[in-house]
Amino acid sequence: MSGGVVRLRHSVAVRMVMASALLSVLVAAVFALEQLAVSSFRDASRQEARAKDVGRAAVGLEAVVLDLESGLRGYVISGNRRLLGPWRQTRAALPGRVADLEHLVSADPAQLERVRELATEIEAYQRDYALPLIAIAGQDPAAARTPIASAEGETRIESIRRRFTRLLALEDARAAASTASANSRSQRAHALGIGGLAFSAALVLVLGFYLAQSIGRPLRAMAAAAAELAAGKLSVRITGSGPGEVGELTGAFNSMADSLERDRRALETQNQLLLEQSRLKSELVSIVSHELRTPLTSIIGFTNVLLNRPLDQAARQRYLEIIEEQARRLASMTEDFLDLQRIEEGRLELRQELIDLVALLREQEQLFAAQSTRHTLKFELPPDRPLPVRGDPDRLTQVLGNLISNAIKYSPAGGEVELAGEGSGDVVRVRVRDHGIGIPADQQPRIFTKFFRGEAPTRGISGTGLGLALAREIIEAHGGRIGFSSAANQGSTFWIELPAAAKYTGAQG
Amino acid sequence: MRELVRVVLEDGEAYEFLEAADGLRCLALARSMKPDLVVLDVMLPGKGGLEVLAAIRRDPDLAGAPVVVVTAWDHLAAEASAAGADRFLLKPFEPEQLREAAAELLAGR
Repeated sequence: MSGGVVRLRHSVAVRMVMASALLSVLVAAVFALEQLAVSSFRDASRQEARAKDVGRAAVGLEAVVLDLESGLRGYVISGNRRLLGPWRQTRAALPGRVADLEHLVSADPAQLERVRELATEIEAYQRDYALPLIAIAGQDPAAARTPIASAEGETRIESIRRRFTRLLALEDARAAASTASANSRSQRAHALGIGGLAFSAALVLVLGFYLAQSIGRPLRAMAAAAAELAAGKLSVRITGSGPGEVGELTGAFNSMADSLERDRRALETQNQLLLEQSRLKSELVSIVSHELRTPLTSIIGFTNVLLNRPLDQAARQRYLEIIEEQARRLASMTEDFLDLQRIEEGRLELRQELIDLVALLREQEQLFAAQSTRHTLKFELPPDRPLPVRGDPDRLTQVLGNLISNAIKYSPAGGEVELAGEGSGDVVRVRVRDHGIGIPADQQPRIFTKFFRGEAPTRGISGTGLGLALAREIIEAHGGRIGFSSAANQGSTFWIELPAAAKYTGAQG
Repeated sequence: MRELVRVVLEDGEAYEFLEAADGLRCLALARSMKPDLVVLDVMLPGKGGLEVLAAIRRDPDLAGAPVVVVTAWDHLAAEASAAGADRFLLKPFEPEQLREAAAELLAGR
């Protein structure tokens, strides 16, 4: 009955009621057995009492018969007729005595038969011997006194006495048998009663053990689990539900633990998010301060030199160009911040113009040359064929410029940058490939996150961490996609995919 | 940035300037030319400015050379002086600050 094997679906209350009922039935059975023993004793003592009564009545009747014989003898010997008075009285009492005895043995047909035979013999003794002898003694007393006459009486009385002895012996034997049977029956009943009590006691023990197992064990498990839960181990669950109400309790405990764990996970996720946001914010502050301070240093420094030193025309021109370039850098950075702000507020407005991406890519050539002398740009474009898309030319130029300037910045050793464009079916695709430092796998998922710059700061690569975030927003706003493939030290390939403005069939359009 | 340092410092002084575009070249140049003063930007391509500074301090031939560290990261001041920088200039600095730092460090030699 241990909880693990048989799992009853009844409630604890139902089980306890069932167990109590079973015990009650057992106790009642034991009580009934005891009652049986008591009643068999009562039967036996009734039998014994009857045997005594029968004995008393039989002895009384025998005494009456003996009185009759001795009364008869006295009269025959003395010839005194007065003695016949008591004899007749005694004889008158005979039928009542016989009836009493018959009544006492009436429940036992064999004894009743014997009593009737006895009565018949007593009757015969009076009719065939006593009364004739009295008559003879009245006429010839000497004849009545002959030994033959008295011997006849003795024989008859002796036979009657034997019948009495036999009747009493049988009655005693019946009483003894009844007592013996009552004894053995009561012994059996007692044995059964003791066995029943012992079984009840064992059953109480088993039930107690069962209750302890089926209720106590789950409760202990729950207490232990609750302690673990309180100690902060929210993954704890109780296995094996237990019966009825205990099962409901363990179920409720488990769902409580589920909900606690869920809530904590949600809190942890939220906390992570907040931490990440706060980290990004402090990154933003340090990026902004750095990105603002560097151009400002040049602007302040060269302005100072221009204001305080006599310079030739060429130097003045050169310094003013530097100041302009740095000021524009500041302006473009400010523009990036504002763009991001606009996108986040859903205020980015895109023009819808028919654009040839090939032309846009070609325009990058000059800008590229201005950025680096250590890199070479290699085009891979469909010959004499446009790549038509619909969108905002300034924004798309901004994205292409960002991808190309990234390709240059992230291949500090110089080398080739490949710019490829192609169309297929409904889409137009552009690829920008470099052979630079690449992006380590662990940083790839965050590459489009704003302000994320990976190892760029430690490598001395400038930037705001806004370029790719903006690029993705702009491309997605055009209904396109942006992605990349990269590995550390293997270079990177960034691609954008835009819906083609006209179906691209490969034929000249 | 390199151009600014040169323009600011060459005002009437007879300095000879050597320039390196990244950390490794800077270190190689310093080892071969044994300069009287090194001006380092923390943000250098390749090897960072603070790494270059540490390498200079470890090099017995260069260990005594005065170094000015220039950066926009104000939280790097402590790191720079721990790495052995003689002066720390936070961008945007006044040209006068750079001139004074250079003059003081060169006068001390």
